[in-house]
Amino acid sequence: MFPAQIEEYVRPTTVAEALAVNARYDEGDALFIAGGQSLMQALKSRMARPRCLIDLQAIDALKGIEYSDGVRIGAMTRYVDIAADERLRGRNAALRDAAAHVGDRQVRNRGTIGGSCCWNYLASCTPAVVLGLGGRMHLVAADGTRRVVPATEFLIGPLETARRADELLEAVSFAGATDRGGSAYRKWGLVKDALPVVGVCVCVELDAAGRCSAASIALSGLAAGAQLAPAGAALLVGSSGDATTLARAMDAVAAAVEAQSDKWASTAYRQQLIRTLGADVAATAFARATA
Amino acid sequence: MQTVRITVNGTQYEEAVPPRMLLVDFLRERLALTGTHVGCTYEGVCGACTVHLDGEAVKSCMLLAVQADGHAVTTVEGLSSNGDLSVLQQSFREHHGLQCGFCTPGILMNMTDFLARHPEPSDDDIRHGLIGNLCRCTGYVHIVKAVREAAKTLAGGAG
Repeated sequence: MFPAQIEEYVRPTTVAEALAVNARYDEGDALFIAGGQSLMQALKSRMARPRCLIDLQAIDALKGIEYSDGVRIGAMTRYVDIAADERLRGRNAALRDAAAHVGDRQVRNRGTIGGSCCWNYLASCTPAVVLGLGGRMHLVAADGTRRVVPATEFLIGPLETARRADELLEAVSFAGATDRGGSAYRKWGLVKDALPVVGVCVCVELDAAGRCSAASIALSGLAAGAQLAPAGAALLVGSSGDATTLARAMDAVAAAVEAQSDKWASTAYRQQLIRTLGADVAATAFARATA
Repeated sequence: MQTVRITVNGTQYEEAVPPRMLLVDFLRERLALTGTHVGCTYEGVCGACTVHLDGEAVKSCMLLAVQADGHAVTTVEGLSSNGDLSVLQQSFREHHGLQCGFCTPGILMNMTDFLARHPEPSDDDIRHGLIGNLCRCTGYVHIVKAVREAAKTLAGGAG
């Protein structure tokens, strides 16, 4: 198992240079490689056979986490760096929950938030968390045009995003820490840290009285890809996160979702995972919001 | 073909490689450093090909050799110095941290990086750190013990 012939490998140091190389090729003939922890699998299995690989490892502008009004995470920021950044707390804590349990240490030393979002594999944690936290995707095109796309529009479906062939994802941004925001993410897989059979992300915002004023729930591991569960989230609003409300909200999520039945888990088992994991994750999100 | 300059275990190598060559194949077939093993069929699941890229544990089947151009790679052959085993290697020997030994190079490379970042690990930390390395002989009990004892030795300033 090794890649098909690759004609050209380039390692630009600027985004403009990367986009210029990409523009020399027809759509699909050049691929950007970030951490490569998904793309290398596709290359080795020959699901992808690019003529040119544009390695983003040397573009420093794509790396690191910036905090100002909000949080901006460079597309080439690795899981290991996200998992270790204690400033990602409160409403953004779910990013660390997810990053700390992707694959294994070796994968986390290479894999990136941008790579995962652009690949948008259905059994991956990052797209669901980005969705649940209301992430915004910062794209730049070869002609220098920049646009910001909400994750809800960016993440179209498994292996499909709104990124155009002439665009590069520069960063993913999130709202900054608030006084009473909290989020959490947890997954269940066949072994610890494995790909999610089901994962649940919950993000809540509380008012001064400790009641939920806004909530979102996002799911990973489903055949249709990362998705929001608005009906369940609506049930959290107005509550103080009591166990009865959390259970009711997750019942609603499990009832509304189209959960596939496959060799990993039946539909009923996935629904049960959503209820069990979901109530636990939601309780953690509420606890973090009041911490 | 593309010319790469990769420092492996302190020695710089300059080689012309096809862009599609995997780093693990470069190490094993070009440099004859066969301590880095291929335990799965390059799917990135077994961890036996784990090496250090600029000091960090990575799977060398998940990287192209051209991606390592200009970087420093350490393989299991680079762990000992002048024939003296590293503290971790010595600990694996003393505590029977291997049976057939096929997975051992990858585990040593991963756990060397792990101990550098987690000098006082709990057994749970060690087990969590080992997720990316499959061992089909030992059941991990002696591996965990070897890593734990190595951490103690390193903390004591010995070795």
